[in-house]
Amino acid sequence: MSRSTSRRIGGQGLWVWPPVVFVLVLVVVPLVYIGLFSVGLRSNIPGTKTAFDLSNWKDFLFGENNPFRNLFWHSLLITVLVSVAVTIAAYPLAYFLSFVARKNRYTLLLLVLAPFFTSFLLRVIAWQIILNENGVVNSFLWWAHLRPEGDSVTWLIYSNFSVALVLFYSWIPFVALPMFVVMENMDRRLLEAAEDLGASRLTSFLKVTLPLSIPGIIAGFVFVLIPTTGEFITPLLVGGPESQLFGNQINSFFNDSPDWNYGSVLAMTLILLVLILMLVFGRFLSADLRRPAAEVS
Amino acid sequence: MTDTNLNRRQFLGGALGVAAGASALAACGSPDSGSGTTSSAPSTAPSTSRPPIASEPGKMSLLEWAGYEAAGTKAQTAGMTVAGSDYIKKYGPDSVTYTYIENDDQALQKATASGGFDILHPCFENFQDYVDRDLVQPWDLNLIPSAADIDPGLLAKGTKDGKTYMLPWDWGYGSLTYRTDHVDAADATGWELAWNPKYAGRISLWGGASTNFEIAAIKAGIQDMDHLTADQLETCKQDLIKQKPLNKFYWDSEYGQMQPAIKSGTVWIAYSWQDTLVSMKAAGVPVAYLDPSQGRIAWFCGFMLGKDTQNYYHAHEYIESFLNKAACAQMTNAYAYGTSNSMVTSADITDKALATSLHIDDLAALTSPSVHLQSWNPDRAKVLAAWQQVKAS
Amino acid sequence: MTGRLGSSLLWVYFVLMVAFLFLPLAILVLFAFNSGTTPTLPIEGFTTKWFTDAFSNTDLTSALVRSAAIGVLASVVATALGIMAAIGLNAKRVPGEPVAIGALLLPLVVPYISLAVGMLILLQALKFKNALWEIALGHAVIALPFALLVILPRLRSLDGSLNEAARDLGASDFAAFRLVTFPLLLPALLSSFIICFSTSFDEFAIASFLYPSGQPTYPVFLYGGARSPAILPQLIAIGTLVIVISLLIVGLSELGRRWAERRIEGRNSASVDVSSADNLATT
Repeated sequence: MSRSTSRRIGGQGLWVWPPVVFVLVLVVVPLVYIGLFSVGLRSNIPGTKTAFDLSNWKDFLFGENNPFRNLFWHSLLITVLVSVAVTIAAYPLAYFLSFVARKNRYTLLLLVLAPFFTSFLLRVIAWQIILNENGVVNSFLWWAHLRPEGDSVTWLIYSNFSVALVLFYSWIPFVALPMFVVMENMDRRLLEAAEDLGASRLTSFLKVTLPLSIPGIIAGFVFVLIPTTGEFITPLLVGGPESQLFGNQINSFFNDSPDWNYGSVLAMTLILLVLILMLVFGRFLSADLRRPAAEVS
Repeated sequence: MTDTNLNRRQFLGGALGVAAGASALAACGSPDSGSGTTSSAPSTAPSTSRPPIASEPGKMSLLEWAGYEAAGTKAQTAGMTVAGSDYIKKYGPDSVTYTYIENDDQALQKATASGGFDILHPCFENFQDYVDRDLVQPWDLNLIPSAADIDPGLLAKGTKDGKTYMLPWDWGYGSLTYRTDHVDAADATGWELAWNPKYAGRISLWGGASTNFEIAAIKAGIQDMDHLTADQLETCKQDLIKQKPLNKFYWDSEYGQMQPAIKSGTVWIAYSWQDTLVSMKAAGVPVAYLDPSQGRIAWFCGFMLGKDTQNYYHAHEYIESFLNKAACAQMTNAYAYGTSNSMVTSADITDKALATSLHIDDLAALTSPSVHLQSWNPDRAKVLAAWQQVKAS
Repeated sequence: MTGRLGSSLLWVYFVLMVAFLFLPLAILVLFAFNSGTTPTLPIEGFTTKWFTDAFSNTDLTSALVRSAAIGVLASVVATALGIMAAIGLNAKRVPGEPVAIGALLLPLVVPYISLAVGMLILLQALKFKNALWEIALGHAVIALPFALLVILPRLRSLDGSLNEAARDLGASDFAAFRLVTFPLLLPALLSSFIICFSTSFDEFAIASFLYPSGQPTYPVFLYGGARSPAILPQLIAIGTLVIVISLLIVGLSELGRRWAERRIEGRNSASVDVSSADNLATT
């Protein structure tokens, strides 16, 4: 199949405008509104005087022992820890698919990815059933007489453990994917060369495979880090009062409290965090949507 | 190159236009906010231009507490067998859908934010909020024969400017239900039981912000739990932060979370209303309903009519099927709650011992000084803000 | 490259990992057929009554229908916009390309909770009441990047000479697109539709804030019922169905995609110009 560069389907760059406007209206404008709310220029409480007011921001950023700021850092810490754990766990998986299971690697990859395509909410609910006080784990322990009947392992559910475990579980397949892609594109001849030069298998892994797969590792890490910063569904179902994440606080503000201005400060913080992460890590996520450089118009 | 320059200029122009449009959109609108409600005065007596019942849509959406669903609907999870049955027999079990109240503050938030409810069932402490925010309209008592049986004192509380916005229906207490087989009787003296580290991880308070601050206030000996000074608010907040780690979870759903947890022994101490006592006893679970030294919390709730309801006459019929004597009597027997219907007497109550100990046949118990009636808090916004801080701590 | 020991260890790791990944799904299937009323061991017996209960639960079925309708609407909008965006990005000159790409991929990184809250604020300010179509639009915008990422590579890989030939034969741009490009894009459009639909069907954050009173979407209903022992078995039953269907779709779409691509490649290398030219001549 020939790829004649002068014959490209489309040719009207303007067609990109309607979708772009769609995104601007449905995403950018709401985010702008969050910004306006966070500085007091708008309010949802009828009759409130609205004026540019940074007091909510000042309280959140600089207030002494501000609980929301503490929650933000705590939440970020858990997010980073989980992301690191997922990345470490996903790497051998990607390596296995690309280097060991040569023949059936795409089928096995699909097998690994398949749960990711099922309902996220259902999988979290399933974990709630597994970890619950009379859930699968505990009732199994009772049935096997490993614990007295009715005595359950309490830290399994509504704890930092349950939140971390479910997050860990949910993201492994998705993180293995970019690692796998990078490994697939690796030039295998380099490894052969290393072996020819007398390197042991471990050395060639450490000195060739691992360094070359770093872009995939970072991409995978970012794939899990960014969505998890805003995660709130998992703690809602399997988290307790002490294991709520930052996203839950935002959810709580807008569900239970009339003070949407303060809630918007938190929502805006999350957006800014993600933008900063994108700026720092963005170049590792190349979605190659630009026209290939080789083509000449 | 000129071509590209032109295109770039066109795009920049377009982008600026979009950005300008977006900010214009953001900037427009009234200077004071845009809540979903209008600012017109509450409507007066029902206008004669109301469409007749036959042309009303018929499908009603209610903001209701779990367990109060009309008898005959699939949603009826607990014990009501009479209330609403007339209505459901006439209009079918699919004629009503229920959105569940998790707590009073969340309910008010939901009613304000999403609106669209035909009937709401809030409690007295929020009565003024619903009226002030123009979420409800007055009932026409002429359409509800059983309204005449409502205790006048209680009805007066639900009336403002001569218009009846809330039809009181149920009343009761808030206290701690605890498992007598796990909790020492010596510890069950007062609200401080929920702060007892001995039972860490076995406690479950409600997710209701206002209620928890009221509990903290009562425990601290503050007499007027709904009017806290800034210092008192701070004290209560710190106290609640101390209590938070002792909870297994804050419950939002009585039948979904709290009662099953007590039944299975996951939770030994939980904030609850007295109906939990009845349910647990019926299930054979050994529990007691704490009578704290500081006094129980008391409440009464009632039906309010949605401002924008399309089902005016249906709503009145629904309420009649809840307010009649048989419905109220059965509700009292099922949940051990008091009723506003003065026709229901102690003769109608089957569990006499329970009736006596809880005084549910005597409306005066609601306003006695030994309990704390949940009432309107002018500083509720501060309480809610403080609760958010408790949750984040 | 990897020794025998390394390979065996990795095989073990892989098998354990797959077991771990499928464990929750297996648990759901197990309890969907368990006759006990609570999902706890030991298994009491076999029954299919939860399925029949679930399908006669009108609240549950209407939530499913609502989510399906929203999913279809969101997928159609997202896929249509994805086609437009792909055509636009495939052009010789794309005005403001980096900005356009940034905008189109923006929904991938915006936290859904912030977006949901922002939409809530915006709609309140515009005095809109909660409505299902608002949810559909929200879902369309978050699914749009997925649609684009699926359609654009496919569009790029198509041979532009077919389209050029069509236009040389006198077809308008639109006819060329309709008769040549669009059919060739169908596998990607199908994938796009499936991905967009499953994104929408499972979305919770936006739906939880924007659903009209009494009309929850399926995830919102699921969340509400997950802590209610009375309907949990029904939800598990329906959940099992949803999972099985999604797994089937994943498997089938992969097979279908391979089959379609093989067919299209076959057609491309054959005397395809003749048949397309015939089609175009009658336009």
